[in-house]
Amino acid sequence: MTDHTTTDDAPSDDRSFDDSAPDGGMPVSTASVDAALESLDDDGLTGYNYAYLDEHTKREVRRSMLKAVAIPGHQVPYASRPMPLARGWGTGGIQASLSLLGPEDRFKVIDQGADESVNAANIRRLAETTAEVETTTDTTDADLIQSRHRIPEEVLTAGQRLVLQVPITDALRKVDPSDAANRRRHAHKNYGKMWVHLYENVVEYGEINIASRYPTMVAGRYLMDPSPIPRWDVPKLDDADHLTVLAAGREARIYAVPPHTAVEPLAFEDRDFTVERFPEQACHACGSTDTYLVEVSEESADEDGFETRYACNDSSFCRKRRENPELPKDHHLDREGVDWGPETPDGDASTAQRGGSE
Amino acid sequence: MTLLEAENLQTRYGPGCSQCIASTGDGAGTNQCPHCDTVVACAEADLGVEAGEVLGIVGESGSGKSSLAELLALERDEDATTAGEVRYAGHDGNLLDVDYETRHALRTGEIALVHQHIRDGLNLEFTGGGNVAEKLLSAGNRSYEDVRDRVRTLFEATEIPLARMDDPASTYSGGMQRRVQIARALATDPDLIVLDEPTTGLDVSVQARVLDMFRRVQREEGVAAIVVSHDLSVVRLLADRTLVMRHGRIVESGLTDRVMEDPHHEYTQTLINSVI
Amino acid sequence: MGYVAVTAGEEIIERAEQLFEKQRLDEDEELAVGQIDGQLGRLTGQAMSEGGLYAPRLAALAVKQAQGDTVEAAFLLRAYRSTLERFDESTTVEPSEMIASRRVSPAFKDVPGGQILGATKDYTQRLLDFDLFDGDTTDPTADWDIDDEGEPEELTNVTELLREEGLLHAPEEATVDEPTDTTRESVTHPPARDAVLQELARGETGAVTALGYSALRGYGQVHPTLAEVRVGRLPVRIDHPYTGEAVTVTHTEVTESEAVVPVYEKRADPQFAFGYGLTFGRNERKAIGMTVLDASIQLDSEAEPAENPEFVLDTIDGMDSFGFIEHLKLPHYVTFQSILDRIRSIRERQRAGDESKVRADEQPAEPPTQGASDDD
Repeated sequence: MTDHTTTDDAPSDDRSFDDSAPDGGMPVSTASVDAALESLDDDGLTGYNYAYLDEHTKREVRRSMLKAVAIPGHQVPYASRPMPLARGWGTGGIQASLSLLGPEDRFKVIDQGADESVNAANIRRLAETTAEVETTTDTTDADLIQSRHRIPEEVLTAGQRLVLQVPITDALRKVDPSDAANRRRHAHKNYGKMWVHLYENVVEYGEINIASRYPTMVAGRYLMDPSPIPRWDVPKLDDADHLTVLAAGREARIYAVPPHTAVEPLAFEDRDFTVERFPEQACHACGSTDTYLVEVSEESADEDGFETRYACNDSSFCRKRRENPELPKDHHLDREGVDWGPETPDGDASTAQRGGSE
Repeated sequence: MTLLEAENLQTRYGPGCSQCIASTGDGAGTNQCPHCDTVVACAEADLGVEAGEVLGIVGESGSGKSSLAELLALERDEDATTAGEVRYAGHDGNLLDVDYETRHALRTGEIALVHQHIRDGLNLEFTGGGNVAEKLLSAGNRSYEDVRDRVRTLFEATEIPLARMDDPASTYSGGMQRRVQIARALATDPDLIVLDEPTTGLDVSVQARVLDMFRRVQREEGVAAIVVSHDLSVVRLLADRTLVMRHGRIVESGLTDRVMEDPHHEYTQTLINSVI
Repeated sequence: MGYVAVTAGEEIIERAEQLFEKQRLDEDEELAVGQIDGQLGRLTGQAMSEGGLYAPRLAALAVKQAQGDTVEAAFLLRAYRSTLERFDESTTVEPSEMIASRRVSPAFKDVPGGQILGATKDYTQRLLDFDLFDGDTTDPTADWDIDDEGEPEELTNVTELLREEGLLHAPEEATVDEPTDTTRESVTHPPARDAVLQELARGETGAVTALGYSALRGYGQVHPTLAEVRVGRLPVRIDHPYTGEAVTVTHTEVTESEAVVPVYEKRADPQFAFGYGLTFGRNERKAIGMTVLDASIQLDSEAEPAENPEFVLDTIDGMDSFGFIEHLKLPHYVTFQSILDRIRSIRERQRAGDESKVRADEQPAEPPTQGASDDD
């Protein structure tokens, strides 16, 4: 096929900023075909672009993010590219991250609260090899944090960007599987069906039984699926200092919660939104009683059966707490008493649930 | 006080031409334009509804009564071309021209439609109570207990067993489903309810009980209503005034008693004679 | 650090990869990429079709690397393709230009150009051939007496004959000059037909077969008659950048299928509906499945899964379903803790016989486990 393409050098590496330039039709050097094929024999990622995606794609993803920021909570379709990770394993998150990362950035990746998780390590490895960024496990030290299903315990600040991986983009999917129908509902701000779902929840169970992916109103306009973060983390999105970008690879949608945006979980005046309860429990490693805990079953000391213990889910903060058990979540800020969700000052009254009282 | 006033309402299906209106209607004996095949479902319709009044619209199927009712209930059929003017107490301008949000707000709060077909009016996966609650929740009510209380009151008013309130609407009988629709329509204290063929699918004894219930609730609440039916006895029972439609036009109107006792139009006479 | 159930760093990932690579090695000679391309053409064809990239050598490499997992191989191809520059866009070719190596028309006994059975095992009895254990390199066609048949005949599509007679509904004229590219623009619902066809063409073979079958099985109205199924080579042409003339740069092997569908009751002028399928490589099952789905989707109904474009497109893509199904292996500690909280809270409330419950005397016999929301 090389016989019919030209040998003219095309501006392939330094493409013009004219976004309307078509992808095809431009004569391109055969040298780049050879380079691409040669890279097959190489070990590393020679032949791949900086931060894996080509610049045009990254610009397109960033444009979608800007639109998402301009319309908080609204799902913006974008051309989600096939990534070298499986769909559902953070391909949306990594596209958002790679589009935002520059060589100066420090990148943190957490999966279900842990930097050490295999998938987090894999995503971190991709960013390290292709974007040559520095990585960190310290939340306060990161410029960009990609996370699956958690917002860190330490307060995020104005300069930081949080990218949440999103499996299912639409809160309304719980009540209707049709994307077409749900898009109409969003356009019309018609959330009656979701409200009936909550009403019938209370009728059936006496309380709302939604665990994670809690339906949340953004800026009083769009109902948003905040990704499967626990309810514990939802209040942290309200009037936050940082930018949150929510990105789905498989469903090809990006949405955002800009800084200082009102984020309100749906609930009744007399059936409050409640966060997860950990009655009488503390992290067995650091002793924290104000963090999101997860249960671990371990063989009991007398080796007779199992016992359940609780541990901090945010492993990086837990390490700090083990050094300094009194370390507040806003220790790195020049102000104190920052509202950062449950168990922090001025956190929603309804979210202070420690001890199991309601 | 006049609640709603409509002038020159028109709904048509098809491209339309300059001769559509002249070539259809009672005189022409058809509602389909011979020049362009457009169906003029209703045209040249003027009417008014007073606060608390019940207006009946009667005619055989295809006479245009449902098209007229849909226009008045702000129901939009994307396949249809509509024209005319509806003025409504307390609102400026033509109700047919309002944007989606205003229309949604009006339909949530002030003008309710009880659909002929249950599936258009109810979500059968929801509980019966949930269907009524949806109206209140869409109107912005955020107190669970208030919503529950209101749903209970409405179930009592429309004579649905309270014990069935939290069962799926799909398990209800046809009569109960019709009652839930009426309860739902009443939920936000509307000024006007449009009932489209309220007896469809109900057997005769159930029909009578539902109509009696509606008449009582309508008077208690003082809500105005437009009742559309092919069945003269339904209109005779409920309506203060009656319009008779044929081939897309209103051919006769007046107090219900007068229309029934002393029909002027030949078609009305035939209708009444065929029932008696 | 024993308190985090799974902790692993890059070293563990690397070791897992090394173990996987080891599985490929055994006593025998290593399988060469050329052998996969030459002898396991169905595998590479499937990988190219689902990957949306016609590149037999790369497909063979992907199949080898994926140890025969075609969806994984398609995934490797897609991920690789997405990083490549697009040099040009090929011009439209007419399927009638196909140089067919196989062509069957179940609709008519005699068709212009004739039936070409070609290479097929359709009518071979499915008996294990134990001779293949030892291998057999003799060419069974070696002593065939082959005439030099000259230029291959252009085959007139059977659907064209029907269209000439006005029996077959014609596809709607394209309303845009450039077709949508669903790899560059995500599909939104309702989708245009060009987007539907692209997604189906890249659909997972098993999913296309299963959903197509669902329509035939009775979950739908489409029971087509195949006008023809063809396997052959189509030219890839681009406009020469200097002369502007179309030049053939290569050929692709494709499988094409067209069907007529007797769904005509509502039309003023009764005509057949139609369905179309085209896929890279030799994959008749997928091409026919795609044909059924194209016809079903044109009915645009929510009554049956195969007729609902949203349902079909949302479930047909192998990359999507593969990734999301397998993501369930990822840790779900956080969300599971959240679910545990809900179920415990609800159970406590029920035990306490909460007053706010309307049906206090009708406690469900079973704890409401399936009601607890656990979807993430």
